[in-house]
Amino acid sequence: MNAVLQILGLFFTAGLWQLALELGALLLLPALGGTISERSGVVNIAMEGMMLTGAFTAVVTDLVWHNALLATLAAAISGGLMALIHAVVSIRFRADQIISGFAINIFAFGLTTFLIDKMTNFQGAAHVPQAYTLPVITVPVLSNIPFLGQVLFQQNIMVYVALALLVGMNIMLFRTRLGLRIRAVGEHPQAADTAGINVYTLRYGAVIASGLLSGLGGAFLSIGINNVFLPNMTDGAGYIALAAMIFGKWKPFGAFVACMIFGIGEAIYANNSTIHISQYLLNTLPYILTIVVLAAFVGKSAAPAADGLPYEPGVE
Amino acid sequence: MSRMRMRWWASAALLLMLVPALAACGSTSGGGTSSVTKKYKVGLVTDTGGLNDQGFNHLAYVGLQKAKTDFGIQADVVESKSDADYVPNLTTYATGGYDLVIAVGFLMQTAVGSVATSFPNIHFAIIDGAGTDANGNDLHLSNVQSLLFREQDAGALVGVIAGVLEKDGASPKKSGIISAVGGVSIPPVNHYIAGYKWAATMEDPNIKVLIGYSNKFDDPTPCRNLANSQIDQGADIVFQVAGGCGIGALTAAATRGVYGIGVDTDQKAAASTVIASALKRVEVATYDAIQAVVQNKFQGGVTTFSLQNDGVGYAPGNITLPADVMAELTKISGEIKSGQLTPPADIPNP
Repeated sequence: MNAVLQILGLFFTAGLWQLALELGALLLLPALGGTISERSGVVNIAMEGMMLTGAFTAVVTDLVWHNALLATLAAAISGGLMALIHAVVSIRFRADQIISGFAINIFAFGLTTFLIDKMTNFQGAAHVPQAYTLPVITVPVLSNIPFLGQVLFQQNIMVYVALALLVGMNIMLFRTRLGLRIRAVGEHPQAADTAGINVYTLRYGAVIASGLLSGLGGAFLSIGINNVFLPNMTDGAGYIALAAMIFGKWKPFGAFVACMIFGIGEAIYANNSTIHISQYLLNTLPYILTIVVLAAFVGKSAAPAADGLPYEPGVE
Repeated sequence: MSRMRMRWWASAALLLMLVPALAACGSTSGGGTSSVTKKYKVGLVTDTGGLNDQGFNHLAYVGLQKAKTDFGIQADVVESKSDADYVPNLTTYATGGYDLVIAVGFLMQTAVGSVATSFPNIHFAIIDGAGTDANGNDLHLSNVQSLLFREQDAGALVGVIAGVLEKDGASPKKSGIISAVGGVSIPPVNHYIAGYKWAATMEDPNIKVLIGYSNKFDDPTPCRNLANSQIDQGADIVFQVAGGCGIGALTAAATRGVYGIGVDTDQKAAASTVIASALKRVEVATYDAIQAVVQNKFQGGVTTFSLQNDGVGYAPGNITLPADVMAELTKISGEIKSGQLTPPADIPNP
């Protein structure tokens, strides 16, 4: 009982929400990537690998150029290149998209581990000096607002970027012609093709965008939240983002809610040295929360109709 | 292009992508030094931490390399990517006619138990564990050598440092609160924490020790979050016992201006405020095990590495410690070596 009260008490601390938003934003970036890719009809389970590639590239670029912005850009591009492989294999060659995604995850893990081991010669991790990491932005005046100021206006720059991308992606997908076309291609590519929309171009664009976003997420992880690259440091974050996307019914804001639930769960778990219940039980909290929310509020969710189906002109 | 052809190309492309991934999992082969005497073959299987974990996998590799230079053995390594790889990796070496198969880590106990039972003529050594059945009961196999460490001895040394600093009011925030960030609640981790808490409490009876677990070893973020929460609670010395994850705890400590303590290897490079590292000399244990095989002196059963035989210890960090800390350290270290003091294996209550 005491532990339950302790957990409830945490919800009244700004620290919990600040950390939850940060961790939620970290998952949001790849989740948005998955959303746009699947909205265009290409199943993408490769966010994990693209994120890991981004995390690696960010650290290496930062170590060479001492510029966090440049490193973030490079990370996004490296994620985009990984995504390009997925795009070519699944759009051009119409291979199974799950298998291609899985291959990318294994490839990214092997490649980054191999390269970092070569670079450091097993002598330790690649640390980036704090001065070259992505900064925490404290918004003047606004950050002085009690409670909310700490939660919303004292965050890493990537948190603001992620939130801006969230709003931008939502507007793009549901309020613009481009978004309508992307969704059309994901629902019924034959009809879209007949209407003169280039299915391939849109799908390539959407898949590459998912890589750029996941790469950004990787940079946030390795040179924003942390300042080091370690093999397999994403440790499943890309898969959690995938789950968040499905949980959120392939909608940006839905995915954001799901990411926040995981973020809150992780932020609560971080207090396990003072909350005296089994750490294992506490560790399952985000997943229990997810099941409860899914069962109680979300209901049936349906993927875009042509999700995972390669498009072949003239084949109905 | 026909559909069939298309599929073929797609499969080929996928295969090509997998090649570097597989190559990265590949092994380091022994050099070609020829000798008249028998060339011993030693295979090392890492746990999922991989060779670059800055921890015991890395150290086992260091020991293996040293043995390779000294004894001219053929030294091969395979990294385990998941728990499911342990049995296949061990079996590969066992069937490959290796003279000694070394398993790194407590997490491989059951795998060693089952593979060593199937290959009674192959010698096995396991760091931090024994050959056990599925329930964790030691099978007492005569072909398995358990290389165990008294991590509590090393934990006690860094606990003395933390305790004296708090008692003297020489810690960054003079809070009287210290903490430990564990990876998973398993014996090797808890031994460190037990010694740490025991020694710190002995030095400063009023000290408060916060203990948490990340339940992760690869991603530094949970350890950073955990350390931050402990620092929020007032902890001003953070001992990480969580492998690569714990790097996040050391960084968090440096960012918040409190002290950090590294684990397993000298980790002063990880963050500016690391004051010491608790050492576990896995390289010594690995080397000794190989030497025993080469000299035909392999013995099954438990070999313990402690402060007394220099199997564990501590390394200084980036900050020079006060003279009284060093004096106390020498004194307690001597008393543990002589057996006057015995740090406990279980975390003391409260």
